[in-house]
Amino acid sequence: MKTNYLLPHKYKNLGWVLFIVGLVIGSIVAFKGYEIKILNINVLSIYDEGGFLGGEEGFFNIIENSIFDELGALLIIIGGLLVGFTKEKVEDEFIYKLRNDSLVWAIIFNYIVLAFAVIFVYDFTFFHVLVFNMFTPLLFFVFRFNFLKFKNRAYEE
Amino acid sequence: MKNRIKVERAEYDMTQADLAKKIGVSRQSINAIEKGKFVPSAILALKISRLFKKSVEEIFILEDED
Repeated sequence: MKTNYLLPHKYKNLGWVLFIVGLVIGSIVAFKGYEIKILNINVLSIYDEGGFLGGEEGFFNIIENSIFDELGALLIIIGGLLVGFTKEKVEDEFIYKLRNDSLVWAIIFNYIVLAFAVIFVYDFTFFHVLVFNMFTPLLFFVFRFNFLKFKNRAYEE
Repeated sequence: MKNRIKVERAEYDMTQADLAKKIGVSRQSINAIEKGKFVPSAILALKISRLFKKSVEEIFILEDED
């Protein structure tokens, strides 16, 4: 089965490592209330509207920032994409269908959960929903895809 | 859609893994096709039929609800 967007199978394990490390970092950041001040370096901020986090308003400022949370976010994104979009050992039309079905399932499930959160979660707690929702489509997709693969592992009959 | 892959396999004394290897798919795919959980593409159906030296209609049978 030829697809043009899947990476070689060898990157899948790397993807799992990055994904899991990213999730651990992300959990630490979320648990500590986004107030971790390690790995502070100067970064380029393309635009900052200023305001409640004390940023200075303007374009293209060099600011100091802890990149611990950025690191976690990037690891989850890169790792998640690698896990979801690398070829299987045998990449065929059935696994292709499982992957596509998982994507559709993840998007629908994600927005149902988000809709509930919109209705029932308010104030600053909703900020957590926004943060989690950056990653849940990918997370639900990876879980669903692997669940379907697990469910369909073949037993000779 | 029903199919007679399992019967054909038995005639040729093939396991799911043998068949999967011969037509270049995973064993899970053959398993899912045999159980009727996955409808293969025309290409795959043609490959399977050619392997068993039969026409596609002899192996894959349309049902009323299709």
